[in-house]
Amino acid sequence: MTLSRSFSNLLAAVASTTLLAVPALAADPIKIGVPVGLSGANSVVAPSVVQSAQLAVDEINAKGGVLGRQLALEVADDASGAAGAQKAFDSLVFQKKVDVLISMETSAARNAGLPIVARGKVPYIYTSFYEGKSCSPFMYVNAWVPEQQVPPIVDYFNKEKGAKKFFLIGSDYAFGRGMLAFTKAYIDKTGGKVVGEEYLPMDGSDWTSIISKLKSTAPDALITSTAGGAPNVTLTKQLRAAGVALPYGNLAVDEGTAKGMGTDAEGIYLSASYVTGIDSAANKTFLAAMQKKFGAELKTPNDLSVPEYEAVYAYKAAAEKAGSTEQAKVLKALGEVSVDGPRGKIDMSKQHHAPLTMYLGQVQADGSVKVIKSFPNVDPGAQCPNLKS
Amino acid sequence: MITLALDIITTAAILFIVSAGLLIVFGVMKIINFAHASFITVGAYAALVASRLGLPPVLAPPLAFLAGGLIGAAAERLVVRRLYGRPLDAILATWGLSIVIGQLVTLAFGREVQFVAAPISGTVMILGEDYSGYRLLMVAAAIVIAALFTGLLNGTRLGLSTRAVIMNETLAQGLGIDSTRVRLITFGIGCGLAAIAGALITPLASVDPNMGLSWLIGAFMLVMISGGSLLTLGLSCFVLGGLQVLASTFISPILGGLTIAVLAAVALRLRPEGFARA
Repeated sequence: MTLSRSFSNLLAAVASTTLLAVPALAADPIKIGVPVGLSGANSVVAPSVVQSAQLAVDEINAKGGVLGRQLALEVADDASGAAGAQKAFDSLVFQKKVDVLISMETSAARNAGLPIVARGKVPYIYTSFYEGKSCSPFMYVNAWVPEQQVPPIVDYFNKEKGAKKFFLIGSDYAFGRGMLAFTKAYIDKTGGKVVGEEYLPMDGSDWTSIISKLKSTAPDALITSTAGGAPNVTLTKQLRAAGVALPYGNLAVDEGTAKGMGTDAEGIYLSASYVTGIDSAANKTFLAAMQKKFGAELKTPNDLSVPEYEAVYAYKAAAEKAGSTEQAKVLKALGEVSVDGPRGKIDMSKQHHAPLTMYLGQVQADGSVKVIKSFPNVDPGAQCPNLKS
Repeated sequence: MITLALDIITTAAILFIVSAGLLIVFGVMKIINFAHASFITVGAYAALVASRLGLPPVLAPPLAFLAGGLIGAAAERLVVRRLYGRPLDAILATWGLSIVIGQLVTLAFGREVQFVAAPISGTVMILGEDYSGYRLLMVAAAIVIAALFTGLLNGTRLGLSTRAVIMNETLAQGLGIDSTRVRLITFGIGCGLAAIAGALITPLASVDPNMGLSWLIGAFMLVMISGGSLLTLGLSCFVLGGLQVLASTFISPILGGLTIAVLAAVALRLRPEGFARA
């Protein structure tokens, strides 16, 4: 029984390697796997990510595809977590046999997927900002890490607002603590002082005592890094109800959430590699194309969905540079090509991460985000010293 | 110091508002309504609808009461009525009910966080301290709810029947009191109160399909140790809410979040029947 099963496993393995080795016919589409959190915590943002991918694929296909082949999307739900990601990656890599994976995911889902990516030797472009230092020879990242997001806010508060004393508030989980640990180190390095650092569990909704502490320490500025959605909203509402009017930098807010918070969000500072208000021809063309394709169904493009759009183009550029979809060649080329997109010119040349132009924005009374300052080509720092290029 | 005292008082008031509806259902029917959290959610969405229709914010709580009360009464008629003799099954059934209501809310309004404008914003000066005006308003709201509740129970015919059913249901039935009707109305009022709580906390909370859940365990524990009386509920909100604020302020907000559950477990170990007849 065991013997015959392992024999058939062996057969299957041999069969699949042979299949992989057979060169694809020109008519076969190139498959792009998109494991993404259609359910669970990421379900609010995932539809916008899928829309971005659809637009990129449509545009490329309309112009003749990549190396004469059309692109096809394979979207799989990873349920925003590790268990779902294992299933999603497994089915995309070994059943659908995708040529590349391009997706925005939670850190838990990414970490669960990486071993499967390594087993399948599939190029993987990760398009979500994250806490940094996740390294794999198969993965490239085109979104920001703390080294890129935090300094614009701290520097602005320090130089323009004269802030020396900072208070930090976060949700008690990896991303919240990781972001604030980096923030604290950066504030210390730049001559500021952290006068308080407080966390609430992710499902907590009562920030009363933290807000009282904040008021009693009388800081010059506030920086928060909560989980997205509900904790961010309850904290902001309760801060406003308590009359807190400090310079308020929010590391976890995006334009959509800011709009949802209405007048309470007014004045919040945020730092992102994409805001809809970027004043460039490429961004305007992109937004118009999204509007035309999706109309009333359009989910507002954001800092998590636009990198997905650009990553599809990065794959196109890499495959064309390599002259094939052969995975090892594409992987090498991904670190060498650069693409022009809504966020500007982007290459993933720094230890598989990308220098990015970061925007410091402030939420206006109508919920829109006004760009106050841009910081061109912010370096991601040493994320993966063991990876070449 | 004054801020700390105000934190304690307002926290107790909010806890009281959130758990009052659960208390009335538990007191009369001796079952725990695990759908309490979704009725809080229903109330918050009623406030959302009221603000979208442009109604004045004062009308949001009555509208929420109506919505929560009607849905609650319907749920009693369809589901809960059959389970009075089986309190454990009732917990499961009301938990299921909460999932159904949560999904219906998601279908109608979507999964995302909604925004309801706060009726009053900013702070007021009290005893030399700037304090959130809305939180102070919650203290007044808690007192109004407690007064209405006591008046209803002690000053009306329905209250008399309700108290009779609480004391001895068989005897009450023998005296011609329609206990089925009393239960229907009580469950409706309990759910309506939960919905009022939902409408009242929207300026401090996020409005999303799961918003009620974070309040459920605290409310459940408070009702358990209060043992079914309004006065002891007020007291336990004050004591446990106060300890929660103290733990959050002086130790850590993460421990503060555990205070009510842990202390309630200890209190119930010492006094399983609660403190109502202490």
